[in-house]
Amino acid sequence: MTAARADDQSADDPSAVGAGMEPPHRGSVLAQAVELSRRSIRTSFRNMAAFIPGLVFPLMLAAVYSAQFSRALALPGFPKVDSFLDFIVPASILQSVSFGATAAGAELALDIEGGFFDRLVSSPVARVTILIGRLAGSAVEALVKSIIVLIVFFVFGARVDGGVGAVIVLLVASVLLALAIGAVGLLLAIRTGSQEAVNATFPLVFVTLFVSSAFFPTELMTGWYQAVAQNNPITWIIDPLRRLVIEGWSWSDAGLAIGLPGALAVLTMAAAVLGLQRKMASR
Amino acid sequence: MSAAIAPSVPVGGAATAVRLIWRLSVRGMLRIARRPSLIIPTLIMPVFLLVSFSGSFSGLGGLQGYGTDNVYNWMTAYAVLQGVSFAGVGAAGMTAEDMENGFYDRLLLVPGGRLPLLLGPIGYSLLRSLIPTTMVLLVAYTLGSADVAGGVAGVAMVYLGAFGVATAFACLGLFAVFILKSMRALLAIQVPIFMITFLSIGQVPLSFQTGWLHAVSRINPITPVLTMMRQGFLGPVTWADSWPGLVALLALVGFFGIGAWVMLRRMAP
Repeated sequence: MTAARADDQSADDPSAVGAGMEPPHRGSVLAQAVELSRRSIRTSFRNMAAFIPGLVFPLMLAAVYSAQFSRALALPGFPKVDSFLDFIVPASILQSVSFGATAAGAELALDIEGGFFDRLVSSPVARVTILIGRLAGSAVEALVKSIIVLIVFFVFGARVDGGVGAVIVLLVASVLLALAIGAVGLLLAIRTGSQEAVNATFPLVFVTLFVSSAFFPTELMTGWYQAVAQNNPITWIIDPLRRLVIEGWSWSDAGLAIGLPGALAVLTMAAAVLGLQRKMASR
Repeated sequence: MSAAIAPSVPVGGAATAVRLIWRLSVRGMLRIARRPSLIIPTLIMPVFLLVSFSGSFSGLGGLQGYGTDNVYNWMTAYAVLQGVSFAGVGAAGMTAEDMENGFYDRLLLVPGGRLPLLLGPIGYSLLRSLIPTTMVLLVAYTLGSADVAGGVAGVAMVYLGAFGVATAFACLGLFAVFILKSMRALLAIQVPIFMITFLSIGQVPLSFQTGWLHAVSRINPITPVLTMMRQGFLGPVTWADSWPGLVALLALVGFFGIGAWVMLRRMAP
């Protein structure tokens, strides 16, 4: 256990959490969720070694790609766009978000490994708030990262033709995707109780993002790779987001951009809650 | 592990040093075989990078001046470069781990001088670089239908570049390890290695790059190395495309190698 982690646990002593939530009645569930969320959010922002690369790497990639793929804009089939920077806005945001999204699961696994989870479930805390608290950290981290990435893109001349509405959709979609990925991490943590197992999913997230339309249009890909990329859910999220950025506002694109990650988030969170219930029932 | 090395190494002389270098190199390879987690950077990542870069950017082959219409021909050398970079980092990782668990103190007592402690991990890095290089070439030929117009000489240039880069990055990693004496050294070297390989002609030719990237890429020593490794996929091997890469590799190996040796002697005179 690292010093920061020990500090985190002492600062958020379960007895204190429990004391703040006693007696266990329905009205206190919100307070419990708020307390656990605060703990999770603090943990997210204390761990700068994990937070910073999630910002720097996507921005670095965007800087390099926009300086080396400008000729590609002339390719037949490439969407009409002012600069590669505009094209890559949604990908950079989602990439940044995906870097930290599995942290919710990893933190829960750490709680399980360290015994803090057992202390939480033996205290009068509503079970679901344990998951809500963890996901809140991922959601807030995703929102902050998305805002920072967007600001950097705007500083370097990127434009969002869909206006404020499109910016809001970008932010909401990134938070929903973080919740979806985070809930998968929670489910894995509940099932395995192993931080290593949860962290092992990160390459999968990386691969899923890369084999999509994130960095190049699928129309310009060929063969089996194109087929995989076109049927990748990340492509279904990025394409409408990109149209909002480079073509302008469209209700249907906004619906698609929010609907799919929203549906994924609901499904994966439901699976995480079921997983937790099963784990508790088996005790 | 020490039992596998120390008793069978006779005391004194060049033969002892050579045997120790070999044992340390092989020990590194055994470490990979025993740890499935090391298969990802050794084997899976380079192949994934080859397939994903070639797949995602296959449209670039349609651009005039790209040099080939099959993007696998362009990306193979870059994927090999990424794979052997991990090999260099691996040499540093093995040494850092030995330092953290105390095994390195026992290695320092082994007869044969200090040079084997530098050349052993480099030997491991060279052996390890054979795996990603060969795998990436095989996948490029089978899955990507890559065409080695330069024939055997073209393939030889890929391996030559791979060995040079693995040696240079192993020296850089060891330089950092001899200073920090912990696994933190790996974090310290990953960023510069990523930067030096990424800000080059890895994915597109220099003529495609604009602004700051063009300026950085033009003076990046990895750029002539990639030109040397890639030439066999774009046409016949020529001296003009080879010598700048060889000079860059010699400079990188010399610079980082001397740095690592100086730090080793400072740590263990």
